Amino acid sequence: MNQTVDALSQRAGQRRFPLIALVLLVPMAIINLVAFVLPVLRLGQISFMESRSGGVLTGNYSTESYIGFLTDRFSLDLIGNSLFLSLSVTFITLCCAYPIALFLHRVSPRWRNVLFVVTVSPLLVSSVVRTYGWMVILGEQGFVNGLLMSSGLISSPLRLVNNWMGVTIGLVEVLIPYMALSLIAGFGRLDVNLEEAAASLGANAWTRFRRVVFPLTLPGVALGCLLCFVLSISSFITPKLLGGGRVFLLATEIYDQAVIQLEWPKAAATSVIVLVIFGLALAFYSRVVRRFE
Amino acid sequence: MQMVERRGASANGDARPGDSEPAFLKLEGITKQYGTYTAVDNLHLDLPRGKLLGLLGPSGCGKTTTLRMIAGLLSVSGGQIKVGGDDIAQKPPHKRDIGLVFQNYALFPHMTVAENVAFGLEMRGVAKSEIATRVEEALEMVRLPGYGTRKPKEMSGGQQQRVSLARALVIRPRILLLDEPLSNLDAKLRDEMRVEIREIQQRLSITTVFVTHDQVEALTMCDCVGVMSGGKLAQLGSPEDIYERPANLFVADFVGRANALEGKIEDVDTVRFGDGVYKCDTHGARNGKATIVIRPHRVHVTPNRDRTLVSVMTNSVHGRVLRVTYIGDVVQYDIDTGTHVLKAEVHTASGGHAFAAGEKVLCEWKPQDMLVFAGGGQ
Repeated sequence: MNQTVDALSQRAGQRRFPLIALVLLVPMAIINLVAFVLPVLRLGQISFMESRSGGVLTGNYSTESYIGFLTDRFSLDLIGNSLFLSLSVTFITLCCAYPIALFLHRVSPRWRNVLFVVTVSPLLVSSVVRTYGWMVILGEQGFVNGLLMSSGLISSPLRLVNNWMGVTIGLVEVLIPYMALSLIAGFGRLDVNLEEAAASLGANAWTRFRRVVFPLTLPGVALGCLLCFVLSISSFITPKLLGGGRVFLLATEIYDQAVIQLEWPKAAATSVIVLVIFGLALAFYSRVVRRFE
Repeated sequence: MQMVERRGASANGDARPGDSEPAFLKLEGITKQYGTYTAVDNLHLDLPRGKLLGLLGPSGCGKTTTLRMIAGLLSVSGGQIKVGGDDIAQKPPHKRDIGLVFQNYALFPHMTVAENVAFGLEMRGVAKSEIATRVEEALEMVRLPGYGTRKPKEMSGGQQQRVSLARALVIRPRILLLDEPLSNLDAKLRDEMRVEIREIQQRLSITTVFVTHDQVEALTMCDCVGVMSGGKLAQLGSPEDIYERPANLFVADFVGRANALEGKIEDVDTVRFGDGVYKCDTHGARNGKATIVIRPHRVHVTPNRDRTLVSVMTNSVHGRVLRVTYIGDVVQYDIDTGTHVLKAEVHTASGGHAFAAGEKVLCEWKPQDMLVFAGGGQ
C-alpha cells in the first residue's frame, strides 16, 4: 500500500519536475551563456588568430600561437612552475586546514557556529588587501624578520617576500578558508561512534586516524584539493604582488602577453592551455570521487 | 520523584545476583561528574561471569554514562572498574578488550562486512589465514554467512546490527557492552533480535552489560536488572524481583504499569485508601502514610455484584467504567471508584465479556498484589 503511494507520488513528481526545473534554470543558463560560454568560445577563436606587431589582429587563422608556446622552453617551464606551485600550495593548505576542519567538526554545536564564522572571516577582507598585509609582515623590516632578529635567532633578515616563499605563504593563507569549508562539507560520514568502535576493537589514536577518520574524510579532501588547485593555478594578484616580478607563472604570463606585449592570440592560447589543465584536474577529481562511492 | 525505601525489602527483595558466584565485572563506587552535576553517583555493582546485566532507566538516569565508563569512552571521576580482578578504570579504551555494540551500528562505511569484522583481529595482529576463518565463523554465528563482500549500506538495519555484533564478538572480548542495540529496529525485528542476542550471549557465556530504556528487553533478556535513577542504582535484582518485589516506588512505577494510590497504613496487614480498607502485607509498618501500588493486570474486573460474596480475592471495590481502551491482546479499563481512578487490564478472549463505559463493575485483587511503600507522597 505504502509502496503504491510512493510510486504514484514519484511518477507524479517526475511529470511535474521538468517544467518547473526548466523555468528555474532559464535565468542562470542565460547569464552563463552570455557571460561565460560565449567569451570562452571567443577566447578559443582569438587563440587561433594571427596578429601583427602592435597587437592588430590580421584576420588570418593559424596554430602559430600554440606551436610557439609549446616549443618554447620558457613557456614549458611556466607550466611546470605553475603546477609545482599549485600542488605544493594545495598540499600545505590541506595540512593547515585539516586540523581546523576536524576540530570544527567535533566541537560542541554551541561553539561550532562561532568558530565557523571565525574560520571564514578572512574572506570578508579582499585578498588584495591581505596580500599587501603579507608584504608588510614578511618584508625585510617586517614583523617576522623583526621578531627573529630581536630574538637573536638570525643575524640578517630572511628573504620571505618577492620570491616563491612569499607567494606560497600568501596563497596558503588566502586559500585556507576555502579548504576548511570544503573539508567540513565532506566530513558528513565521519561519526564519532565510528572512532569509538575502532577504539573498542583495539585501535590506538594513530590507527584510528589512519584507518577510519582519514579514509572517511577523503571526499572532503578531494573537493578541497580540487578547489584550491584550481584557485591557486589561476591566481594572479597574490603571485604578482608577493612574487615581486621574480615568480613566473601561467597567470602572470597571460597578463604580460595581453596587457604589456599586446599579443592577444598568444595570451588566448595560454589561457586555453590553463583551461585544459583545469579540465584534466576535474576529470581526475571525478575519477577519484567515484572510487569513494 | 522522591525515592521511598521499602521496609523489609532487604529480607526478600535484595537477593543480589553476585551472592552465590564471584563477580567477574565489579564496579566499585564509580562516579562521573560534570562540574557540579553528578551523572553517575558512587555506583557499586557486581556481575558474575557469563551473566547478562540489563541497565534500565529513563533517559538521563546515567545508564549510558555507566556503559561508556566501562568501555573507556568516558573517564571516571572516581571509583574502580574491575574485570577479573584487574582495575581497568584508567586504561585507554583500545587496551580494555571490550566488545561494543552501538545503537546506530557504527559500522565502518568504507569497509566491507568482512573488513569490518576483521578490523579488531587485525589490531590484535592475528595471522591473515586465521582472520579469514574467524570472520566467516563470526558471520555464521549471526546467521549472515557469505555476506562478507557486501558494504554495510547494502544491508538492512537488522543485518547491520548483526554484523556489528559479530565484529564485537570476533575478538573474544572479556566483556560485551550493548548500548540500546535494538532501539533503531522495528518492533517485529526487535523481538527476533532479542532472542538471538540472548542465545548468542548464553552460547558464548560472555559477561554482558545491556543498556536499555525498554523494560520488556530488560525483563525478558537479562539475568539481572539494574534499575537506575538520578545516577544511582534504584534496585538490582532478577527480573522477577524487579517486577514482583520492587524495592521502592520509583522501580514499581517505572517497571511495568502501575496504579499508585495515596493511602494510610492501619496495621501490619491493613491499609486504607478512599472509603475502603484492604488486606495486604505492610512489611511491619503499623501506621503512617503510604503509597500503594497495584498492577493493572492483577485487578480482576467482574460484573457488578454484592461485595460480601467475595472470598478468593479478599480485596474488592465497586466502580463504574470510565473509559475502555482496546489494545488487541488486552483491554484497559479506567474505573472510577468514587475516590480514585483505578486502571485495570483484562486479556481479551474470543466471546469473552467486555464491559462498556458507564457499566458498574466490581474490581478484586489479592493481598499479595498490593505493594505498600511506607512514607507515601511523590
